[in-house]
Amino acid sequence: MRKLLACLALLIVVAGIFSGCWSRKEMSELAIVLGAGVDRTPDGQVRLTLQLARTGALAGGGEGGGGRGATTWVVSGTGSTILDAQRKLAERISRHINWTHNVVYIFGEEAARHGIRQYTNYYSRSPQPREITWVLVAKGEAKDILETISQLENTSAQDIGYLARAKTGFSINFKDFKVMLATKGSNPIASRVEIVERGVTLGPEKEKSVVHKGAALTGTAVFREEKLVGWLDESETRGLLWLRGEILKGVITLSSPTEPGKEISVEIMRGHTEVEPYYDGESVWFVVKIVVEGDLLEQQSSEDITERDVRKAIEEEMAREVEEKARLALDKAQGEYGVDIFGFGMAFHRKYPREWAELEDRWDEVFAGAYVDFVLESHLRRSGLLGKRGSVRE
Amino acid sequence: MTRFVKPLRVRLFGRRKKGSGQDNSPKDLQKDKVFSDQELQNLGLSPDLQANLLQVREILSECSDVVFREFDFAQDERIKLALIYVDGLVDKTQVSDQILRSLMLDAPLVEQGGEFTRARAFMLIKKKLLPMHDLKETNNLGQVIDAVLEGAGVLLVNGHACAIINYSRGWEGRKVEESQTELVVRGPREAFVETLRVNTSLLRRKIKNPNLKIETMKLGEVTKTDVAVVYIKGIVNDKIVAEVKERLNRIKIDAVLETGYIEELIEDSPWSPFCTLLHTERPDKVAANLLEGRVAILVDGTPYVLTAPLLFVESLQTPEDYYQRWPVSSATRLFRLFTIIVSLLAPSVYVAIITYHHEMLPTALLLSMAAQRELVPFPVFVEAFAMEFTFEILREASIRLPRQVGQAVSIVGALIIGEAAVRAGLVGAGTVIVVALTGIASFAYCYAASMSIRLLRFPILVLAGILGLYGVICGVLFILVHLATLRSFGVPFLSPVAPLNTGGLKDTVVRAPWWAMLRRPRLIGMANPQREAEGLKPAPPPAGRKR
Repeated sequence: MRKLLACLALLIVVAGIFSGCWSRKEMSELAIVLGAGVDRTPDGQVRLTLQLARTGALAGGGEGGGGRGATTWVVSGTGSTILDAQRKLAERISRHINWTHNVVYIFGEEAARHGIRQYTNYYSRSPQPREITWVLVAKGEAKDILETISQLENTSAQDIGYLARAKTGFSINFKDFKVMLATKGSNPIASRVEIVERGVTLGPEKEKSVVHKGAALTGTAVFREEKLVGWLDESETRGLLWLRGEILKGVITLSSPTEPGKEISVEIMRGHTEVEPYYDGESVWFVVKIVVEGDLLEQQSSEDITERDVRKAIEEEMAREVEEKARLALDKAQGEYGVDIFGFGMAFHRKYPREWAELEDRWDEVFAGAYVDFVLESHLRRSGLLGKRGSVRE
Repeated sequence: MTRFVKPLRVRLFGRRKKGSGQDNSPKDLQKDKVFSDQELQNLGLSPDLQANLLQVREILSECSDVVFREFDFAQDERIKLALIYVDGLVDKTQVSDQILRSLMLDAPLVEQGGEFTRARAFMLIKKKLLPMHDLKETNNLGQVIDAVLEGAGVLLVNGHACAIINYSRGWEGRKVEESQTELVVRGPREAFVETLRVNTSLLRRKIKNPNLKIETMKLGEVTKTDVAVVYIKGIVNDKIVAEVKERLNRIKIDAVLETGYIEELIEDSPWSPFCTLLHTERPDKVAANLLEGRVAILVDGTPYVLTAPLLFVESLQTPEDYYQRWPVSSATRLFRLFTIIVSLLAPSVYVAIITYHHEMLPTALLLSMAAQRELVPFPVFVEAFAMEFTFEILREASIRLPRQVGQAVSIVGALIIGEAAVRAGLVGAGTVIVVALTGIASFAYCYAASMSIRLLRFPILVLAGILGLYGVICGVLFILVHLATLRSFGVPFLSPVAPLNTGGLKDTVVRAPWWAMLRRPRLIGMANPQREAEGLKPAPPPAGRKR
């Protein structure tokens, strides 16, 4: 018995000495960071903007009912490094800054253009932030994005996080972003976030209705090495997703094969992309095979899709549409920016490990000059609850 | 000081009589004498009725419940008889109809015309005149006294140094009722009562087998309580029976008022918070345990029966598991395992996460928790400890309180402590939920085990408050190591899980169907492992066989 007690006492003492983190923090002592933004000031300093949850105002249901004032508090501090800026902020925040629940990490456009490696270091070293934080680049300043208000979610940071999670465009988390930064043969990309008009809340009379501005994901930021070089818009981003094989959901809208001016929308159910590089010692070319499967869910025209030929025509149109989108993104990456953002370099590296050594240093150049051939396969699987158009008189 | 105490003592207790213990003469009526068992066993009966009576009166002096009934045999003044019994312990109709009436009035009918002599009278009484089911004869005064106090009527016959003990017990006792503490939906409802004989009969009724052995002994120097050791010969491990009997024989205690006395005196690990003997008031549970090869200890005066050896998995089991169909009982057992974990760990994990590991919560949950805790003035550890403490108060109060005020406690408990404390911002709603969940969970499995776990919850809570989840894990490991060291009558407490016995796992966290549980628990019923025939699984007749 005495031995057991001694063991227990030892265990506790050892825990005190070796665990190294005496981290008892009551929840009411925490300033919970939900969104963080990094901007570069004109004099080259770092301005860190934090969106903190005002937990007092968040009380969900029950007593003291929700909505006592704003749910977030946005503060900014400037310093020569991020940690330095955070130290400055700590002088203004009465609680302990807790990064563990940060949802979004936003870089300002200026900061991104000057290179973002210096801003990711703290975020990877500190034990608190999660690697699944969404990384975004603001068109303009990150501070402005964090200062928006969400109409649906508690905080705008969570709102942006849910938008990124929905994967309607391209979105990437911190871990994958870091890998991209560190890998030769691919250049980093992140979602673009900007302030747009987002809906109206209605007042009792029309004049009192408020038009809201909110943050939205509107495309992709393209980097060369670590520096922002430009953007892809939303439709180019679709092409980017096809080429990266990341298509998960979405809609392809195509014009009707028989009735010009009328459109057909197909919901993508499944997609698959394979990139096959070829190298003959001089030139590099790629064959991109894309398979797309979809369900027809909207039809403005009135052709009978139960007919084999019509379906064939629609399937061809689908393939053409996908290829067009992919070409759009490819042309921009190869022509305007001259960067490989599709991971073609990695595919090449896998197939030609020896040849890669001589090409890797000028890969972006090689990529920009490479010919890309598309092989498309498309299937129209189902047509929703209707076969023919229900509203057509026969 | 002594100046005041001494006169007081003299006034209260009288002066000590010098040499009072030395005079052993039975003729002297000494009311202050205390008789030891040893002395009584050495005393014999004399042929003289009056001498015997005097001695018994002396021993049972100032026992107002003892009745000395002197009468003549068959209205013949030559043959004097005396019946001694304790009023209230004997069946009065039996005593008056079958002893007194038969000896006083019916005796002449037996020997019509014959002459009663002293010598023949004794034989006659024994053979023909006492229509009782259980008679015994003795010439030892100690046995006479024991028999009287056990509820027998003792008949003394003048001229014979021999007494006839009539077992005509019949005292007021509780009837066999529904179990109050171990309820089932499906299954027998009867529970043991306070009378040992009734309890053994309940067992015998379930197991009609000559191998069901019921050995009795007396424990308690003063109380002389009947204790029965019950087992099924041929199934039980004989070494365990011998061990149980040896441990029982070691007991020298003044009183055994409940099986708890015995439990503490014979258990393997007296310092452990876990009990290593099962107590139950359900005859079906005891019967099932006997059939698995366990030993039961019954004590007169309590409805609780001990069975040994006990395994930890038994805290997951209820009798109903074996009556319900196996998928249902397996699911409920898994659920009970979950409740054990919840009742041990829920508050401490809650405290650990809230104070140390905020990153473990989903963001939305963290925000709503943080919002709740915004107004709470105490650290969550203090809060959880206080709420646990409050819950223990409520629970203790609801056991002790008179039934009529039961509602008051539940109103106070639910409304004031739950609702008002949260409303006043003294306690977070999350804490109330966790404590309530813990409280309810602790009633979902074996009550005896829940007492141990209730004790252990507090140290783990403290560890969680100091060290976070690390502390919780330390505590759990410590408990596991301790459990692994426990033995119950030589059987490892954690078996069949550790040491692993795959066959035994059929009746642990799940219950296999009856047709699959072919064998008894290996370490307990190893003397006769086969429980049932093989191939009992219901199936359609093999193809090709004609009906």
